[in-house]
Amino acid sequence: MECTWTGNQNKLPNITGYWKKDGNEIDSRLTVPLENEQYNLKGVFDIVGEESLGNYSCVFGSEAKIEFVLAAPQMGEVRDKPIVSYAGDSVVIACKMEEPKPKPSTWHWYKANGTDKALIDAAAEPHRYQIHSEGGKSTLTVRNLTQADAGFYYCGAVYLISTSLGRLEVRVITFLEPLKPFIAIVVEVLVLVAVILLYERKSKKKSITGSQKTKKEKRENSGGEESSSVRQRKV
Amino acid sequence: MAPAPEAELVVRPLDGGWGWVVVLGAFISIGFSYALPKAITVFFHEIQEEFTISYSDIAWISSIMLAAMYAGGPVSSLLVTTYGSRPVVILGGVMCWVSMVTASFGNSIIHLYICIGVIGGFGLSFNLNASLTIISKYFLAKRPLANGIAMAGSPVFLCLLAPLNQYLLSNFGWRGSFLILGAMLLNCCVAGSLMRPVTPPRNPSKAVSQKKLEEQTDVYGTSLKRNCMKNFRKFLDFSLFKDRGFVIYLIGSLMFFFGAYAPIVFLTAYAVKQGIEEYSAAYLLSIMGFVDMFARPGTGLLANTKWIRPRVQYFLSFAMVFTGSCHLMCSLGTGYVFLVVYTVLFGIGFGMMFGLIFECLMDLMGSQRFPSAVGLVTIIECCPMLLGPPAAGKGALVDITGDYKYLFIMCGSVILTGGVFLFVMNMYNYHMLDKERAMKEMGQNHEPKDNHDQENGTMMQLKEHPPPEATVEQTAPEAIDETATQADFFF
Repeated sequence: MECTWTGNQNKLPNITGYWKKDGNEIDSRLTVPLENEQYNLKGVFDIVGEESLGNYSCVFGSEAKIEFVLAAPQMGEVRDKPIVSYAGDSVVIACKMEEPKPKPSTWHWYKANGTDKALIDAAAEPHRYQIHSEGGKSTLTVRNLTQADAGFYYCGAVYLISTSLGRLEVRVITFLEPLKPFIAIVVEVLVLVAVILLYERKSKKKSITGSQKTKKEKRENSGGEESSSVRQRKV
Repeated sequence: MAPAPEAELVVRPLDGGWGWVVVLGAFISIGFSYALPKAITVFFHEIQEEFTISYSDIAWISSIMLAAMYAGGPVSSLLVTTYGSRPVVILGGVMCWVSMVTASFGNSIIHLYICIGVIGGFGLSFNLNASLTIISKYFLAKRPLANGIAMAGSPVFLCLLAPLNQYLLSNFGWRGSFLILGAMLLNCCVAGSLMRPVTPPRNPSKAVSQKKLEEQTDVYGTSLKRNCMKNFRKFLDFSLFKDRGFVIYLIGSLMFFFGAYAPIVFLTAYAVKQGIEEYSAAYLLSIMGFVDMFARPGTGLLANTKWIRPRVQYFLSFAMVFTGSCHLMCSLGTGYVFLVVYTVLFGIGFGMMFGLIFECLMDLMGSQRFPSAVGLVTIIECCPMLLGPPAAGKGALVDITGDYKYLFIMCGSVILTGGVFLFVMNMYNYHMLDKERAMKEMGQNHEPKDNHDQENGTMMQLKEHPPPEATVEQTAPEAIDETATQADFFF
């Protein structure tokens, strides 16, 4: 890692520079000369494992500090909403390491067991689990879901330095659950349709009896005129 | 003079009363029709993961559904003219129910294409067509307002369905959600049952002619069969193309639909590209929907006024010009505030267009020819509607420039040209219609007054400011009137 600092007001010819990891000084302090109006501090660190990851800072004197975060690539958008599936059905859950980030060497899947994570071995139970990993994407298919399969699942993108985890939740419900609102709505529709049609039949009957009365009255009043108009139309 | 009593049986529109309940039914029905294809996109991500397919494959569901909804126009026109609106809307509701329920059991994308796309789309087309037709039967003087209110169903239902679908998805998964959505679509049947068929008015003179009809059932029985055959041959009524106003309208609406949907599809992406964060960009579409909700009935109200109603085609061309200029304006500026202003104006323009588009067709065709006209128009509009977004997206954007700006310019210019075309051609059309009406009135004054008194009487009752269709309806072949009223009698 290399730090370059320009813009120092004092323009001292030499300044002390050192590296810190997670707030603790590492290595010895160095004297950094001023070259071309800037100070350069270079540090070489071996990444041996997970202990090598963390927050690194390069410090110039007591004035300037630059921070680096060394970590494995984190997964971008991991679903926070639970994936809902049905008992007896199968569910596919996926984790993705997006494009510019490096692809992991392999993927592991874990099922949460209390606070522990149990590694899922697809080879041991091929009729239940199926893991398909391809570069930056991995999917876990769980078949024949039961209530016991509900809970949190972790996908791990394995890198040489560490594994980055993503968490997904799976909920298993029975078919009856959506069926209840379904039936409720169907019943509501049938009731409404019946009410509307009955109301209409009732008001039709009323208007028929009503108009029959008025028809009779009108016919008595204007019998003569009608027949003459009928005659006219026949022409 | 057998035709004369039938011409009187052309129903006098109610323009109120139960008509407003019918508008509510149409509101629900049209709302589901337009909102459903867009609202189910909420489920796509999850279905996509389960079936392990690409996004473009699953986006086809929406396209197929919209295409089927518009392509089903002629079929639903035929059903509506034969059986009336109510059974068709009920059938549409049941079809949509079946489509969503079967889709919830689906295990492949093809299954979803057929269930949701084809069956669902056809069900929605029955809903749409029949709802529009019944409005034209129930309203005349207040028809633009009724149309505006009914079409407002689309943005309202979209606003309601989108969060509802999110809730259903997180509680029941996509399968359960489809099941429940299917049940909700069954409410279209409720809407349909509200659509009472229009019965002829009961007057003494009309009662006599009704009796005459019952006495001569034999004669009419065979003539009904003959008319049914005519209906089948009028499945796609190409004779409509001879109507000048129809052709003008068709060309204008084709141009509108070509450019209408692309800006909506790409608006969010355009905003994000300008540096606006995704949440605010998605909010833009909600703003548009919200404005649209009020623009539609507002437009209906305006179109109903005595200044605009007689020349409502000009209002449509104004709406198109406004929308087109909006898109062109969008390409000129940047920034979130600018985009919000654009979205509001676009919402107004979009709402105006959709509030008016079917009203203008009714105005041109009259309530008798409207069912077949709308079927023909929708199936032709299918093409630009489906081709528009991909053509605009790929043609103007990705391959050529890489900038969304040109997409808005392209859509804006197409719509603007369409609007200007409509304006100019309608000036010509109105001029010709006025001439024709003047000639007709001169011809009528020479005929014996007796038989035409009653006809003119009813015509006068119907309208205070005769729209152009007045002349069209009088000259329409009486055979069509016969079949329409015959159908009404069977309920």
